[in-house]
Amino acid sequence: MNPAPVRTYVLVWAALIALLALTAASAFVNLGAFNSVANLAIAAAKALLVAAFFMHLRRHASALVRVFAGAALFMLALLFALSGADYATRHIAPAAWSSPPSPTP
Amino acid sequence: MSVAHRIAEQFETREQQREADSLGTWVFLATELMFFGPLFLAYFYGRTHYGEGFAVASGRTHVWLGTANTALLLTSSLTMALAVRASWIGRRGVTLLLALTAALGVAFLAVKGIEYRKEWDEALVPPFRFVFAGEHARAVEVFYWLYFLITGLHALHLTIGIGLVLWLALRARRGDFGPHYHAPVEMTGLYWHFVDVLWIFLYPLIYLLERWR
Amino acid sequence: MSYLEEGYTLRSWLTTHDHKRIAILYAIAITAFFFVGGAAATMIRLELATPQADLVQADTYNKLFTIHGVIMVWFFLIPSIPATLGNFLMPLMIGARDLAFPRLNLASWYIYVLGGLFTVATLIAGGVDTGWTFYTPYSTMFSNTNVILAAAGVFITGFSSILTGLNFIVTVHKMRAPGMTWFRLPLFVWAHYATSVILVLATPVLAMTLVLIAAERLLHVGVFDPALGGDPLLFQHLFWFYSHPAVYIMVLPAMGVASEIITCFARKRVFGYRFMAYAILGIATIGFLVWGHHMFVSGQSMYAGMVFSVLSFMVAVPSAIKVFNWTATLYKGSITFSAPMLYALGFVGLFMIGGMTGLILATLALDVHLTDTYFVVAHFHYIMVGGSVMAYLGGIHYWWPKATGRMYPEMWGRVAAIVIFVGFNLTFFPQYLLGYYGMPRRYHVYPPEFTVLNVLSSAGASILAIGYLLPIGYLAWSLFRGKKAGANPWDARGLEWTTPSPPPKDNFAVAPTVTEEPYAYSPERDAEMAGGRIAQP
Repeated sequence: MNPAPVRTYVLVWAALIALLALTAASAFVNLGAFNSVANLAIAAAKALLVAAFFMHLRRHASALVRVFAGAALFMLALLFALSGADYATRHIAPAAWSSPPSPTP
Repeated sequence: MSVAHRIAEQFETREQQREADSLGTWVFLATELMFFGPLFLAYFYGRTHYGEGFAVASGRTHVWLGTANTALLLTSSLTMALAVRASWIGRRGVTLLLALTAALGVAFLAVKGIEYRKEWDEALVPPFRFVFAGEHARAVEVFYWLYFLITGLHALHLTIGIGLVLWLALRARRGDFGPHYHAPVEMTGLYWHFVDVLWIFLYPLIYLLERWR
Repeated sequence: MSYLEEGYTLRSWLTTHDHKRIAILYAIAITAFFFVGGAAATMIRLELATPQADLVQADTYNKLFTIHGVIMVWFFLIPSIPATLGNFLMPLMIGARDLAFPRLNLASWYIYVLGGLFTVATLIAGGVDTGWTFYTPYSTMFSNTNVILAAAGVFITGFSSILTGLNFIVTVHKMRAPGMTWFRLPLFVWAHYATSVILVLATPVLAMTLVLIAAERLLHVGVFDPALGGDPLLFQHLFWFYSHPAVYIMVLPAMGVASEIITCFARKRVFGYRFMAYAILGIATIGFLVWGHHMFVSGQSMYAGMVFSVLSFMVAVPSAIKVFNWTATLYKGSITFSAPMLYALGFVGLFMIGGMTGLILATLALDVHLTDTYFVVAHFHYIMVGGSVMAYLGGIHYWWPKATGRMYPEMWGRVAAIVIFVGFNLTFFPQYLLGYYGMPRRYHVYPPEFTVLNVLSSAGASILAIGYLLPIGYLAWSLFRGKKAGANPWDARGLEWTTPSPPPKDNFAVAPTVTEEPYAYSPERDAEMAGGRIAQP
């Protein structure tokens, strides 16, 4: 094993903290829908940093490990995409709030 | 050689065992992510159907405690990564770095506990203690229900992680790990970072909705 | 010394790390559950022998079909082939000493048993009546039965599936013998690899969904009941995201078994080996994209319905490739109709009928008429029982000499295969007609005009029951009285046949090196080496 120098780890950590500050600050500015976009993009960037450097996907991982690291993300994307295809095109008539009966557990 | 240095009998070489351990851990993390999937989809449903209610609910969370907690967890990932690095090259300090990681994890849980306490006092804990007036009551209830479910599950994972890290710290002090044997540190490290990555996504989803209001 | 002789105490079995012994433990446990689920099925068919409610009332009937579904799906079909045949054969087939994580393997059996105990507890506590699908809001708000207990059983046993899948994935990637390249893997291994990927990626979603169900029922807060601000279709999306791929968890290993048997008893290479492997991966992948076809009439957006319908048609393509290739494998083969072959051929035929009727159900307009009728019931029983169970039994017979060192009585094996095939078709083919004529599923009474077809179905079920009991008898007999089997009684190819029967604990005395393709069968060579090498007439 020939790990990266400590300095790399500390720099990654500094970048993570900087991104945290950025995402927190951006939330207090009204960007409309772009608030969510920015928040999620920054979260993805942070996750990528952790995965690439702290979890060593960048240098010490086989292609196989990278595939499995991405597999669940891909499946979740499918879950969201196809369920989303339903939600995006379905007309929902909301039910009235009500107190339902209480069954015995 | 201590017992831990032996190759398990089903493997031919140490390298094969190391690769199997690593791949197994990543597959396990994939299942963990899928495990959280329904909660994220439920959140996505709530967010898209009750946008305003979710924003109101998010406004009631304790954003600074959440931010501080994020910083704590990110830092713990740094110490964990350094511990893995040190065990790889047989450096001293593995024990200390692991202990530090566990301490940061405990600090996170403590802050989370303070937040839960505040939310209990503010009656934001469905269904046990939930009082919220106004048109968004049910949406806020759904938000906080998911909030407790997800953060609770995350905290459970973190608690398991702290236990593992403390156990590793004890073993490291005994001198179990070195350049030839560090799989447990590495695998626990991956798990710890995974719990961190989960939180990285939870933080904006929970705390940062329409904060500018 | 064979793996069976490594120890005779109960303790030596319950603490074993040997994949072969764990496979036997699984086989015993799932057989027990098969007969519990079968008992429920017997009650159902008895009740449906007449139009009126004679044997049970509506509530009991609901509990019967629920427990039949829960047990058969999660405690029999899902673990059936992977946890028994897969567990036993994967390391043997790839030339490894064991799975990558033997202790995890044992743990997954204990988890399965624990989940099973919860299910048994559900039965003792009075059952559950939601159907195996646990649909909300009925399961969370209205049912007065043991939903949480049943869900807990399924939740727990899910982790057993996950651990088995994880173990198989790592094993296939990291434990292959030298020379065992991906395209030298038996299709059985390919099928189990694809199954494992589904197990690992789909099962956790079901687990968390069941947690949400239980919590919503317990605490009256949640995301599924519209009265609480939730959406029942959210549950259905999550449930079928697991439960449709679960069908492929059940049928892909069956395809692997059928491929092994057909090539051996046709004495020919599998036709289009690579396409068979790609088709397995294709089915596993596309199988993840079709779950919405269970929701066509649920109120799901019709545009999403169209997408899911098209995707469902696409999954038929790799399935058809497989059926075509099995048929082409038989072409000009030197075929022996031994018991495993009869089961495997039965599998192909029944799977094809089940698959074709699946296309009818995937058609949006037809589904409106057929949904929730006996047509659906017949369709999925053709896939799961006609397909998976036939292949499972075929595999049991095919590898019986390997696992036990004894031959089963061939004549009885053939009789049972034929009895099961006839009984199965008589049970379930009338149900297609019933469904087409409009008989809804999940009712204990029906109008008198459906009587004839229902009586036929119940009569078939009793033949089927005899067919399932037969192997228990003659297989048990063969354990003690069966002819000793050599290492390779079928003259089959594959590493598992190079070890003694039963194999020793560490499988191979010397780690094997693989130099040839799988299925190096050729009728010509067999003719040259004539002399009745096939053990049975």
